[in-house]
Amino acid sequence: MLEVEGLTKRYGARLAVDGISFSVAAGDVVGFLGPNGAGKSTTLRMITGFLAPTAGRVRVGGVDAIRAPTEARRLFGYMPEGVPLHHEMRAREYLAFRAELKGLGRQGAKKAVDRSLEQAGVADAADRIVGQLSKGYRQRVGLADALLTDPPLLILDEPTAGLDPNQIRQIRALIRSFRGDKAVFVSTHILPEVQATCDRVVIIDRGRMVGEGDPTELAGGGETQRLRLRGPGSAAAFRAALAGVRGAAIEGAREDGAGSDAETTLELKLPRGDASLDALFAAVVAAGLGIRALEPVEKDLEDVFASLTTEDRATVGADESAAPGEEAP
Amino acid sequence: MKPVLAIYRRELRAFFASPVAYIVIIAWLYICGLSYWAILSFFADGASSGGSDNPLAMFFGGTILFWLPLLVFVPVLTMRLLAGERASGTLEALLTTPVTATQVVAGKYLAGLTYWVALWVPTLFFVVITAQYGDVDPGAVAASYLGLFGIGVFYVSAGLLGSALAPTQVVSAVLTFFFIGALFILGILQFVTYDLTREVLAYLSVWTHMSDFAKGVVDTRYLVFYVSFATLALFLAVRALAWRPVK
Repeated sequence: MLEVEGLTKRYGARLAVDGISFSVAAGDVVGFLGPNGAGKSTTLRMITGFLAPTAGRVRVGGVDAIRAPTEARRLFGYMPEGVPLHHEMRAREYLAFRAELKGLGRQGAKKAVDRSLEQAGVADAADRIVGQLSKGYRQRVGLADALLTDPPLLILDEPTAGLDPNQIRQIRALIRSFRGDKAVFVSTHILPEVQATCDRVVIIDRGRMVGEGDPTELAGGGETQRLRLRGPGSAAAFRAALAGVRGAAIEGAREDGAGSDAETTLELKLPRGDASLDALFAAVVAAGLGIRALEPVEKDLEDVFASLTTEDRATVGADESAAPGEEAP
Repeated sequence: MKPVLAIYRRELRAFFASPVAYIVIIAWLYICGLSYWAILSFFADGASSGGSDNPLAMFFGGTILFWLPLLVFVPVLTMRLLAGERASGTLEALLTTPVTATQVVAGKYLAGLTYWVALWVPTLFFVVITAQYGDVDPGAVAASYLGLFGIGVFYVSAGLLGSALAPTQVVSAVLTFFFIGALFILGILQFVTYDLTREVLAYLSVWTHMSDFAKGVVDTRYLVFYVSFATLALFLAVRALAWRPVK
């Protein structure tokens, strides 16, 4: 539904987006993950034709979005960053105006407005003035706008930014509900958001694509997993016991209490798989120690970046697939 | 055409929902009323009018009281057209629909022209009142309003171009003020220059244009100037919409 190839944006000497390539299949919800300032919004603006790319190609449903932007724009609904709306209008008026811009006739527009108000869960605020709505409602009016023409592709720029946890859950549920029906490309800087809503994730950092793949795998970290272990005994005893476990690496240890009351909490890395876990357990028991808790440690975004940009380049797609075209003047 | 009308209607609604519309129109009527009162008193005293032979002809562009406020109001009326949308971010939402930049500029321009007409409609009362007490030349009045509309075609396109180039409404207003102000002053410079320079400057001078229109003289060269200037300005505005400043 959406194919991006070697997309590049250069501002003077600064490369804001550096040859990124990916695709979003029909029915897939794909996350676009990166820290603030990574070039997410710039990328979305190039896809939607608001910014002209320096190089690269964008195809929406087979239409070249750079050569035929008007045609391509009929195929997607876009919610820009910060959800800009006309604050002096009522929600329904605003959506009717947007429907007209998107080429819906008067009758079609009325139906489309009612349907998308319902879909985005803002039907109860339809006759209120947009500027007086809460941020969560405004966000959903923006979403209703993107849904007006029932497009096969939705492009959403940070749809949950600035919302409270309840509103975030509602928006995420809404996005999940499109799975299998629409292609969704949604940007975010929050890792759990991707895990909660997306089938696939494209990761960008400082304008470069650093990874692409299954969000749960990314968070788990590929070949090794991180665990937190709590058990009775001194930190030194645990270190000695784990020295014999293949591939185990202790990243941090904390000791509470003293003598026979001592309890240690370890952060460690271990290769994935039952064999490693069995070995860990056996080593601890053999040393006369115990395990009171053993839990996986979720990575945060920085960890993902660290692992992607250093050790784990297996899933990195940017380097081999990027084929930047000639530069525009 | 449909998106043009949609943009036009939304723009008008937003404009008349904002206080700027009423402040400008009321201030303009107040200034016009005062200046027309001054002109009527001047004629009532039997003083020589030096060229303009009736109060309406003098009112339509015959005094600086007419031009100075316009040089301020035109930038204020046109500043929100595109710069307002750029500053609030709605330009992005607008330009990522299947609407072309030309359609956007056309809708905005029509809205700007409508504001201009809204400024002038109330001055028809002056004509009505004057007709009660003296002779009014309908041809001269019609020519005056035609000239005013022509100047609107010219000024609103300049304001729209300023609005297309500016990142914020304030910048747009300042840009437009300097542009039409500079052209206005160039026009006045005809009185201190000679020969070809003088002719060129007179051709640019809206003051000179209006004094001809007010006498009932419709010089098509002036109308050609307005339309060709507007065509160029609107073309540049369409181009400017494609250009986005680096954030």
